[in-house]
Amino acid sequence: MAYTAEAFQNEFLALGATEVNAIVTVTSSGAEGGRRTGASEIIIVDCSGSMQAEGRMPAARQAAKAAVGCIDDGVHFAIVAGVSTAQQLYPAPGELAVSTPETRAQAIGAIDRLQASGGTAIGAWLKLAHQLLAQRPGDIKHAILLTDGENGEYKGYLESVLQEIGGSFTCDCRGVGTNWTVPELRKVANALLGTVDIVARPEDLTASFTQMMTAAMGKTSGDVQLRIWTPVNARVRFVKQVEPQVTDLTGKRVEDGPRTGRYPLGAWGAESRDYHVCVDVPAGVAGDEMLAARVSVVEGETVLTQSLVRAVWTEDSALSTRINRQVAHYTGQAELAEAIQAGIEARKSGDDRTATVKFGRAAQLAHESGNRATEELLATVVEIEDAATGTVRLRRKVDAADEMALDTRSTKTVRVGRAQ
Amino acid sequence: MTDCPHCTDERAAGAAFCESCGRPLATGAPLDVGTDCGACGSAGSVATDGYCDNCGMLAGRPRDHAEADAGPVAAAVTDRGVRHRRNEDAMWLAVRGTEVDVVVCDGVSSSADPEVASGTAAEAAGKALALETGVAAAVRAAAEAVAALAGTGDPRRAASNPACTIVAARVREGEIEYGWVGDSRAYWVPIGAERAEQLTEDDSWATHVIAMGADPQAAWNNPQAHAITAWLGADFGVVEPRTGTLRPEAPGVLVLCSDGLWNYYTEPAAFAEVVLASVRENADLVSAARALVALAVEAGGADNITVALIPIV
Repeated sequence: MAYTAEAFQNEFLALGATEVNAIVTVTSSGAEGGRRTGASEIIIVDCSGSMQAEGRMPAARQAAKAAVGCIDDGVHFAIVAGVSTAQQLYPAPGELAVSTPETRAQAIGAIDRLQASGGTAIGAWLKLAHQLLAQRPGDIKHAILLTDGENGEYKGYLESVLQEIGGSFTCDCRGVGTNWTVPELRKVANALLGTVDIVARPEDLTASFTQMMTAAMGKTSGDVQLRIWTPVNARVRFVKQVEPQVTDLTGKRVEDGPRTGRYPLGAWGAESRDYHVCVDVPAGVAGDEMLAARVSVVEGETVLTQSLVRAVWTEDSALSTRINRQVAHYTGQAELAEAIQAGIEARKSGDDRTATVKFGRAAQLAHESGNRATEELLATVVEIEDAATGTVRLRRKVDAADEMALDTRSTKTVRVGRAQ
Repeated sequence: MTDCPHCTDERAAGAAFCESCGRPLATGAPLDVGTDCGACGSAGSVATDGYCDNCGMLAGRPRDHAEADAGPVAAAVTDRGVRHRRNEDAMWLAVRGTEVDVVVCDGVSSSADPEVASGTAAEAAGKALALETGVAAAVRAAAEAVAALAGTGDPRRAASNPACTIVAARVREGEIEYGWVGDSRAYWVPIGAERAEQLTEDDSWATHVIAMGADPQAAWNNPQAHAITAWLGADFGVVEPRTGTLRPEAPGVLVLCSDGLWNYYTEPAAFAEVVLASVRENADLVSAARALVALAVEAGGADNITVALIPIV
C-alpha cells in the first residue's frame, strides 16, 4: 500500500455529547512505480513595472531559469509573462512545450527577453494557465506564480476566476518585496491548494523556485481526494488540513452520493499530512457504538486507504473527559494561526489592545506546542516577555517584510511532540 | 464441533464452550454484510466493517446473539432481545459424551457493568463444574469472582457493584444436580407432560410475599415483582446457593433460562407446551433453542433471553 491513513481520537463521548473530533494522518510512500501519468507545469512571472525596483526583474529571470532547469524530461510546460494581460512567453501562444534539453534552452533564452512594464492582473494570468493546462487531461498539473504587487483587476474578478478554475491545478504562490498583500495571495493558494510564502529578498528567489519545482516534480498522484461518509442526520462541521499547514477544506466539499462528500487534497508525492475532521452526530445512549465517519483517501474511483472515526457513548466521565493529544495539539495550532492573523489585522487598524491580546495568546500557544519557528517569527513583531503566560509588548517599529513573513507562515504547524 | 480458535487445549474438543479459556466456540450467526440494521431498520445496510451504512450504528456485538451447539446432547442460545441495548445475559455449556455442565447468568441492569458480572460468573462456575466439586462449589466460585470485580477496573464498580443471577446444572449418568441464586430458572419438562416442573424457586420479591401468603396474581402484577432478593455481587455478602438433585424416571428436557424467556410463559402448562413443541417441530436442538428465543423476541423481547436445552433419555 502506497497510502496509509490512521485516525487519532478519543472515541468516548459523554451522554448527550454530539461532537466527534479526530485527527487523520495520511501518509504516502510516493511509491507508485514512479509517475503513472504525465505532468505539466506553468511558470507565471509578474512583469509589472514595479518589478524594476530593487533588482527584482533580474532575480526573477534568474529564478525562472533555475526552475526551468529543474523540469524533468517529457513534462509539458509553458512560461507566462504577467502584465496587464497574460502573455505567453514560451512556447508559441496556446501551446505547451515538451521538456527536453533543447526546449529548456529555448525557454531560458526566452526568459532573457522578460522586461518589466505594465500592471498586475493575477486573474487573467491564472486563466491563461488554466487554458493551457486544460489541454492535458489526466496530467499532474502545477503552476508557480510570482508577483510583487497588489492585483489591479476590477474588484471581484479574481474571485470569479478562482471560483471557475479552483481545483483544476495546484498553484504555489510567492510574493517578492512587501507591496503585495498576504490575504490576496493566500486566497489564491487556498483556492488552488498550493502554498504561499514571502520572498523578501530578490536574491532568495532562485532557491525558492528551485524548491517549488523540485517538490512539484516529486508528485506521483495528481488529484487525490478525501472522501468522507457520515451517518444519516450527521453533519461534517469542518475538515481542515492541520499539518504541514492549516488550510480549511470545509467549503470545498463536493457531494458524492448519499451522506458522502469529497474534499480535494491536490497532488501528492512521498509525504504525510494531517487532517482534523469534526462531525456532529445524533446523540446515542450509554453503550452505543456508532461510526461517525468513514474517511477514505481516493483517486478517481480508486480507494487508496481508509480509516474509521468512531463514537462510543459512556456514563464514565473518566473515559469521556480524556482529550486526545493529537486533537488538542492541532486545535491549538489552528487557534495559533487565527490569533496571529487577527493580531495583524488589529495592529493594522490601530487597535493595539486587541493586537496585544491576540499576539500574547499566539506566543503562549506557539511556546506550549513547541512551534519554535512561529515563535521566532512572532518575536520580530512583538517583544515576548513571558511566553508561558502570553505576556507580550508590541514593537514600535516592525519591518514590513517581517510582519508579512509572520502572516504568510502563521498557518505553518508542527507535529505533536516534534520539535522543529 | 470445531476446535477452540482461542486455545488449542484438546479438552475443548467436543465442548460447545472451550473449558480452558471459556470462550464460546460458536458465536451465532456472523454479522453478514448486507443484513438489516437493528438500530434504524434499514434493509441490507450493514457494511463490510460492521457498521450500518445509513445510521452508522455498530450492527451488533458478538454477545448480542450467541449459540452453543452440542448436537443431540445439548444446545444453548442467548440473545439481546429487543429493548435492551446490549446482552447482559451469559451462558456456559460444556459437554463430554453425555455429561453436561451448563450455566445461565443474568446481569443486574442497575449495577455497574452487569454484562461483565454475568460473563465472569458463567465462566467461573463453568470452570468449577469441570473440576467435579459439585454445583454449590461452582456457584460459590462464581460468587467470589463477581465480588472481586468491585475492586478492579472501572472505579464506578466500587460504588455500584457488578451483580448477576446464576442457575447452574450438571448432568452425570442421568442424574441432574442444580443450584441457583436469583431468578434465573431450571425446569424439568417430561416428554408428553402437561406441566413443566420448576426446579428452582426465585429469590425474588414476588416469590417471597407469595410464600408469606399474598395473592399470587397481585404479587406478580406488582412493579416490584421481579426485584431479586439474592444475587452474586460484592454487596450481597456470603452467598448460600440453594441446590437440588433430580433423577428423572421418564425421558424429558432439562431447561435452564433467564427471565427473558420464562416471563412470557409463567404458567407451568404453557411453559411445557412451548418447550415440547419447539423440540418436536425443529430438526435439531439448537434450532429448538433458537425458536424459543424467537418466540420471546416476538412476544416483545423486553429483556435479554437465554435458554439451554438438555434432553435426558
